[in-house]
Amino acid sequence: MTSDQIVTRTTSGAIAMRNLGARIEGLQLQAVQAPPTAADRAALIEALCLRGHLLGCIADLEHAAEQAEQFVREVPGAGPAYLARARTRSVWHRFSEAWRDLDTAQRCGMDPADVDGERAVIHQAVGRYDQALAIRRAAARRRGDFRSLAALAGIHAERHENDSAQRLFRESRRRYRGVSPFPLAMLDVEHGHLWLAKGTLWPARTRFAAAQQRLSGYAPAQGHLAEVDAALGDIEAAITRLRPLVASSDDPRYAAHLARLLRDVGRAEESSRCREYAAQRYDELVSRHVEAFADHAAEFWLGAGADPARAVPLARINVEVRATPQARQLLARAVRARSARAAPAPARLGQPPSSRAYLAE
Amino acid sequence: MSDHLSGPRGLLDPACDICDFFAFPSPARPEHLVLVMTLFPYAGPTAVFSDAVLVRFRVRPVTIVRAEPRARFLVGSDSEEITFDLTFDEPVRPAGNKLPMQVGRCATPAGETVLFTVGDRSGGQGTGIKVFAGLASDPFMLDAPSIIETLKTGRMAFKDVGVNTLLGANALGVVVELEAARWLGAGPLFALVTETLSVGKRPVRLERIGRPEVKNIGLQWNTYDTVNQDIDLRDLYNEEDAFALANDYVGAYRARLNANLSFFDGLDGKVDWPIDQNGNHPLTDLWLEDFLVVDVSKPFVENGYFEIEKAMLDGLEHQTCGGRSLNDDVLDTFHTLMVNGGKGPRIRDGVDHATVPATNVFPYLARPNPPQPKAQQTSARIRP
Repeated sequence: MTSDQIVTRTTSGAIAMRNLGARIEGLQLQAVQAPPTAADRAALIEALCLRGHLLGCIADLEHAAEQAEQFVREVPGAGPAYLARARTRSVWHRFSEAWRDLDTAQRCGMDPADVDGERAVIHQAVGRYDQALAIRRAAARRRGDFRSLAALAGIHAERHENDSAQRLFRESRRRYRGVSPFPLAMLDVEHGHLWLAKGTLWPARTRFAAAQQRLSGYAPAQGHLAEVDAALGDIEAAITRLRPLVASSDDPRYAAHLARLLRDVGRAEESSRCREYAAQRYDELVSRHVEAFADHAAEFWLGAGADPARAVPLARINVEVRATPQARQLLARAVRARSARAAPAPARLGQPPSSRAYLAE
Repeated sequence: MSDHLSGPRGLLDPACDICDFFAFPSPARPEHLVLVMTLFPYAGPTAVFSDAVLVRFRVRPVTIVRAEPRARFLVGSDSEEITFDLTFDEPVRPAGNKLPMQVGRCATPAGETVLFTVGDRSGGQGTGIKVFAGLASDPFMLDAPSIIETLKTGRMAFKDVGVNTLLGANALGVVVELEAARWLGAGPLFALVTETLSVGKRPVRLERIGRPEVKNIGLQWNTYDTVNQDIDLRDLYNEEDAFALANDYVGAYRARLNANLSFFDGLDGKVDWPIDQNGNHPLTDLWLEDFLVVDVSKPFVENGYFEIEKAMLDGLEHQTCGGRSLNDDVLDTFHTLMVNGGKGPRIRDGVDHATVPATNVFPYLARPNPPQPKAQQTSARIRP
């Protein structure tokens, strides 16, 4: 049995999600009773960010950001407050402001190792992989545990250094010592990304399915499974996966994906409803968090949104926020599509395009 | 904060995050020993036990060896240890019932399994044993900001009237009440710890606790540690066997404790605990013997925490059952011992009671505090 196949017993996904909710609720109720400590405030922000990621719940992420702003306002000069705000600002791709918060957090006495971990997140997000690697390698040398190796694996995966990434994913999994299903599910999704980037769909599907099996409510796992199912030609399976996500998540990416699939199988009315919802929601989110949603919104206008002219300025903003190879490719695609003065190869109703086209979104 | 949030693993997964451990003879049934663990800090009303976490109580006989340079505990061997292991099923929703129900099992050293339903305050019953598990009012009390300010500024920042940081907080509680003679034998001294472990063929220790605040005050604060300041020692410490520390990190634990215990000693401007020629605080090694010690031959007292240890240090016979009761204000005991060696006035942190005092009868833990509603809801969206 390879370490990829090791089945680590973790808390059932249903219990873990329920308990994450109970933790958030408990911390919120506590704050009504007694002034929360800095650690409690940071824990609440962390928990909201985690749930936001797992469920694709943007409202949770926005709430976390509000809490972080309040934390800085009410406890000025507290390192944990700036660290927490830096994290939420990173989530919204406000990297320069996040970086300034990290500097302040360090000046306020936060552990440089914690602060550097967040700096590595920003380096990686904006494509400064060498700097991110230097920090993550130093952390892994200090303590080569699940967390440090998983972070290192993620960077190698983004650099398409597949052998190193595979080895680190395996080693990271082997060193997991907890019972929470969240870290392993997240690791599986990252591992799946690696295969997806290589275009090897079945291994990607295996990893996404493992994440989904461990944590059935994990929205990104379910969303990626739908993406792979569609690319493998099983459009109905993808639609079945996306429907509950569209209902449960306030992230429009799932509605956008569903709109495209429905359009391709000829269900125009339902597709149109999903498209309308996604368009409205993207407009709303771009107006509030343009840095974070510029790329997804651009993808939407290139795909189900079928308005490449709207994609170009968004893709341009995305390159300004983070000039990664992926961001440049998105801009190039948007410009090409606009020049062609049409959405990219809109399939006629009921006639799906080449299944691999679904990976573009 | 006792043992709440005592390491990255616990922070990530509250269902394995131990808050506290208590062990005391039952006030109402003196021939019974009561073991209590709380976990899941700030548990919301819907919190449940993990189906992948095993809760273990470990008990070993212990004797006091009068030797130089100090008296110490001699803990019984592996073969003398008895354990009580609790596991939990995934909650199920019985037909027609709105609330999900969770069932747990306690495996006794005799091979018996005691079944219980989470939240049932009458508990499950076996031969000479009763077991409760469920949401309860968190019995710990502290004014956390005053402790943090003390640690930051180097001056005692306790107020006459403090604010209990855990006011209204709940935790998941596990209570095992044992008929002492049946399960433990003569003793009368026993060393006790509790742990959370992963369920499986080879359980991995996730967290453990003997005494309160060993990790959060003793090992977390790294400002005064002159050996290393760049590592959180708490999860390394959590993984250790309380009755047999491995050699790998003992030096690191000792350095951190030496620094922090000496810091507390200096808070009143005089030295009550002079460090030895090796740079060790006199209490460091005792602190690393991280278990509660209970004398089951003595009746219940509410404030017996550390009395057996203190008597041992002073070369005296202990007078009480020791251990730790649910209503004992152990932080005042800790601060007084550390700051003035128990030779000066009792040092109070201004918080003397938990939200709701524990009771004298099974299941001892107070009922959960009702939620105080907060108007913070996210608006629902209409989706396709």
